[in-house]
Amino acid sequence: MNYTVINRDVHVGDIRVTAVASAALFLIGDVDAVNLSSAFDTPPEALIIGPFVPLVPVRGE
Amino acid sequence: MKRTSIVQAIHVETVIISSILQIGDSEQISARTRALAVQRQHELFFGAEGERIFPVFTKPIPRWSSPPPVASRQTLHQSPVISVRSIRVLGVSSSAVVHVGSTSTAEAEARIKHIRQLADPAPGSQTRGRGS
Repeated sequence: MNYTVINRDVHVGDIRVTAVASAALFLIGDVDAVNLSSAFDTPPEALIIGPFVPLVPVRGE
Repeated sequence: MKRTSIVQAIHVETVIISSILQIGDSEQISARTRALAVQRQHELFFGAEGERIFPVFTKPIPRWSSPPPVASRQTLHQSPVISVRSIRVLGVSSSAVVHVGSTSTAEAEARIKHIRQLADPAPGSQTRGRGS
């Protein structure tokens, strides 16, 4: 396979970003390889209603 | 060869939790975050609470293997410059990267678990709050 990329003029004005978060990448430039991953866990049992106890018993107690 | 990045003005307010603000070329970018965020209705902190027992911190994340190299690839930089007048970023958090310049490889991993603990609203239960 023949694959040709021609990078012509790139002129950007003003960029406004509120947030870049959780293994995200905001890049002005060239890059060969990017590998980003993010795991965010909020299952139903992540909402605990009841007595305030440690999430797991602290060792030695 | 990689292009040159020209940014007239950059303003970044906050960079936190294993995040990177890189100005200039780099070779390899690598960032890792593990966050256990516990929100309790009352101010209570028990210290170590067994972060390692949650699978979200240990489960392997499937990796995207790089595709086979293209037989014939040609990149022509007709213009050797990427130019930006101004950049404003309010926040960069949790293994995020803001990069002005070129790099070879960028990798980042964020693993976050949120837990919310609320007082039992049943009557007779011990709750602190309004009226107590």
